[in-house]
Amino acid sequence: MRAIFNRIKNSEFLTFNEVLRLKVAIVTVFLFAFTALAIPQSTYNDFSWDIDIFVTVGFALLLMLTILLLAINLNRWAMHFSIYSIAGLTLYYVSGSTQFYGYILFFVALTVIIFYQDILTYLIYGMVVTGYGVLYISQKGDLLVGINSTNADVSILTYQTILIVFYVIFLIQFIVSDSIYEKLNNEWVRMNKVVGKYQEFTLENLKEIIEKNNKEPIYKNTSFHQAVNEISIFINEFFEEDAGSIAELVEFYFFLHEQDVDKIIEDEKVSSLTRKYASQLSKYLLNRKSELVSILFDFSTLFKGDDKYSELRYEYNLDNMFDNKIDKLLSLSILYKYLKSECTQLDKYGKVNRILTHEEIVELFVSKEFREFISYEQVNFFLDNQELYREFL
Amino acid sequence: MIRQPGKYKYSQLETFKESLELLHLKRKTIIVNIIILLTAFMVGYFMISINSETRDILAAVSLFVILLSINLAFYSYDDDHYNNLKIAMYINTLGIYTIALVLIFLFPIPSVFATLFLAYAITSIYQDYKSMLLSNLALFLSGLILLIRYPNVFEIVGQQDSQRIFLIIFLSVFVLLLTLSSYILIKRKNFFYNQLAHIKECEIRNVELFYEVDKIKTGKTLKSEEYYKELSKFSTELSKKIGIENVFSRKIELLRDLKKYNINKILEKYTEYSLEEIEMISQMEIEVNQKMKMIGLKSSQSFGVEVTKKEIFSETQFRSFKHFGDDRYVKIISFVVFYCLLKVNKPYLKALGEEKIKDILMNSEYFYRVDKDIINIYFENNEVFDTILEDHMEGSW
Repeated sequence: MRAIFNRIKNSEFLTFNEVLRLKVAIVTVFLFAFTALAIPQSTYNDFSWDIDIFVTVGFALLLMLTILLLAINLNRWAMHFSIYSIAGLTLYYVSGSTQFYGYILFFVALTVIIFYQDILTYLIYGMVVTGYGVLYISQKGDLLVGINSTNADVSILTYQTILIVFYVIFLIQFIVSDSIYEKLNNEWVRMNKVVGKYQEFTLENLKEIIEKNNKEPIYKNTSFHQAVNEISIFINEFFEEDAGSIAELVEFYFFLHEQDVDKIIEDEKVSSLTRKYASQLSKYLLNRKSELVSILFDFSTLFKGDDKYSELRYEYNLDNMFDNKIDKLLSLSILYKYLKSECTQLDKYGKVNRILTHEEIVELFVSKEFREFISYEQVNFFLDNQELYREFL
Repeated sequence: MIRQPGKYKYSQLETFKESLELLHLKRKTIIVNIIILLTAFMVGYFMISINSETRDILAAVSLFVILLSINLAFYSYDDDHYNNLKIAMYINTLGIYTIALVLIFLFPIPSVFATLFLAYAITSIYQDYKSMLLSNLALFLSGLILLIRYPNVFEIVGQQDSQRIFLIIFLSVFVLLLTLSSYILIKRKNFFYNQLAHIKECEIRNVELFYEVDKIKTGKTLKSEEYYKELSKFSTELSKKIGIENVFSRKIELLRDLKKYNINKILEKYTEYSLEEIEMISQMEIEVNQKMKMIGLKSSQSFGVEVTKKEIFSETQFRSFKHFGDDRYVKIISFVVFYCLLKVNKPYLKALGEEKIKDILMNSEYFYRVDKDIINIYFENNEVFDTILEDHMEGSW
């Protein structure tokens, strides 16, 4: 239980699959409680005792199946089965008796579906549950009219309206959060890729520095190999008796730096185990812009300049940065000059050694992506005067 | 050892996260208010259709009007918009429950009791910790008090026993599940805000890193004089072409002087500009200031960056040493290589001491990038790690 609480507490750091797994586990706990509750509830319903036993055992088996699916990591299937369980339980509770709590159960069933935060699942299953709830009220609503009610029809209509509006509001919530998070994530992925490009440049420059200084890259350093090897064996001792078996993989990891890894991964003649390890380790190679290199560069930025936050810190659009027209044009000219003078591209040897040509800058300026930096007005001004830009900057 | 997860966060994140959140809070406030307005119409319609007394209709509708007016007031007050909208959010949360309770007391019947669930649904749109807490408490307490103190609300024609115990259990489950759901959702929302804010700052710092390494490689820094000289020529020709006097030359001169003089001297010399204007112009200064270089490099990489639907929310986008499906050996080796790299001198980062590494791994987001078992082995045995590495590398490469 403590582990579950800890996982909930740190749920933002879990992968999507792990979060789904956690949610199914939580729902299963609640479903067990509901199934157990069906036993005392059976004394109030209209079913015969054999049906009650059959239903309770059936739900218990359904929950076992959900747990089994979780155990074999089929989390999405487990989610579906947990939804079937709550839908079935709702059906059982409301069919056997006409109590107000039956109506509340429709909200509980919707809550379980909401809990998974999956718009398609909510749209389909949520609509089925809401639809059944509305139908149930139309058929049995007159048995749920309060004693203080002055108008039975309005009472029934109120039940139905509230259930439908509840469904619709949560649907709106799903759409709002989905669009926000998709937009945030889209921007994050795009920026990750741009940062990846800077890191690729930094890595290429580092390679040149090492080459120029006649040093060997760290992945060729024997002492480094030995240190990695020994620490890896040390960690592995905590997991298995034959701790040394990891040594072979450490050797393979450094060996991969001398090989065309992508070729190994694709080569069907190579054993599947070798390809599997090559594929997994390729994310951590040191001679390419791998995840490890990215993490290392990101880590080092913890020690870089720490200017104070200002409103324009993350603003890169010249049109928004400057109010004055002259400033806007002057900054545009500086940007052009920078692009035409500084090495911002990889050359054919993969080194950061190429400068953009005037034609390439024009292509960049008129592209859709460049609206992030300059306005249409600035582009038009540039196009009208591009000969001057080309000649004097 | 107690973790301090925020110890190594970039200091600029919180302020930027607030501005990101404000953007979405505005949108959510508008949506909530539209729903409240529609609900007001619906309630009015129901009350009229059952021939409620005018006094009751006016009472209910006035509550909606008051709530909407408060929202409008807070929304239109521009100063400190973020906190104003937050206050409006809390008022809304409590206000909606107040209206629901008033309706329940006006019409003490089971179907109207369900308006509490509607109140919950409306407030859930905000996805905010405090609002969620308020809403859950309001729902649970008002539901419980009504069930215990006002059982007549739940009495149904022809039924002796309303089985309140089942109602209490289902209400508890409803609140508990929704609390967990909101909690996880809000945590993820904050995570996304955090990630985006983080990558924005990370980008600036990675560009700085690039320039630092580039300077080591070339041994040169950007020479602004060449820029200003050419800009002067260009502006003269441009002014000639469009037939105006050279309005750029004074600013180019100012840019030149910005790297030579302090701000007081600049203000003395360029009396025609205010401090604010000079600060704005100084963003164009290219030798000392990073901004234009940053825009130059960033814009040069903007072309051809495409994001596919598959990549959004994909686990592969999160860089870590604990990818789902990776072999344990791979998780160990990748972390060990990373650790060893932190302990050797690099052109862009000096070797870090053991205590520093341990502190960062313990108190930063890097804690979550390593497999839990492996990082715990490190924390418990970091001195052994250190000794092994020292034996082999002796701090150098």
